[in-house]
Amino acid sequence: MQVTFESVGATTVATATGRLDFGAATAFQQQLEQAIAAKPGRLVVDCAALDYVSSAGLRSFLVAARASKAAGTSFLACGLQPSVKEVFEISGFSRIIEILPDRAAATAGAA
Amino acid sequence: MSACLQRAADADQLAAFSEFLQAFWRERDLPAEALFPFELALEEIFLNVVFHGQPSDGHQPSVEVRLDCEGKQVTMVILDDGARFDPLSLDTPDVNAPLENRPVGGLGIHLVRTMMDRVVWRNMDGRNELTLTRNVENA
Repeated sequence: MQVTFESVGATTVATATGRLDFGAATAFQQQLEQAIAAKPGRLVVDCAALDYVSSAGLRSFLVAARASKAAGTSFLACGLQPSVKEVFEISGFSRIIEILPDRAAATAGAA
Repeated sequence: MSACLQRAADADQLAAFSEFLQAFWRERDLPAEALFPFELALEEIFLNVVFHGQPSDGHQPSVEVRLDCEGKQVTMVILDDGARFDPLSLDTPDVNAPLENRPVGGLGIHLVRTMMDRVVWRNMDGRNELTLTRNVENA
């Protein structure tokens, strides 16, 4: 699991690559929390290269979404692969976290 | 033709179980897109034993995973000698709760039940035995 960050105007894009399992969840959460601490207008997690997520990974998303709300940052995810999308839908996370089809849609108007 | 792996219920062993499952998938040339629900089920159930399966006598439980493929149906049996626990007895978490009070406990089991075709628990000679099956054709 790897996360890289990039800023486009007031939008921070976190690109998540690999497997977000129990072993990767804590580090992922901490990296997102660090990004949120800078209070970007918008934080987008690009999941196009995210192959796997478990409930431990969902917990990281939840913590980040709450921290974003407290910081006044819009929190979004984009580019979910079919299986990851299914996990978000079954868990109801697609109703509490805004999901956009791809990075272009998520960063529109950010520049 | 089945495969079997037994390890201590220690979170550090998750990778070993995961690699075991992936190797089984490769060796039998099963469709890659059907692996996800089995990986998820293995992680959720294994970690449940690691974090909640401590028996009253204090011994570290051991977990055994058996994989079998018949036709297009894969069966994964997860056995553990930890505390008696039927994961199917858990209530479905409120997946409509707002962000602020969204529960995470029970979510793993809910995902497993939804993504598998069939999940059966029984107590077998003092061990928990969870049998998960799913058709892997056109998953």
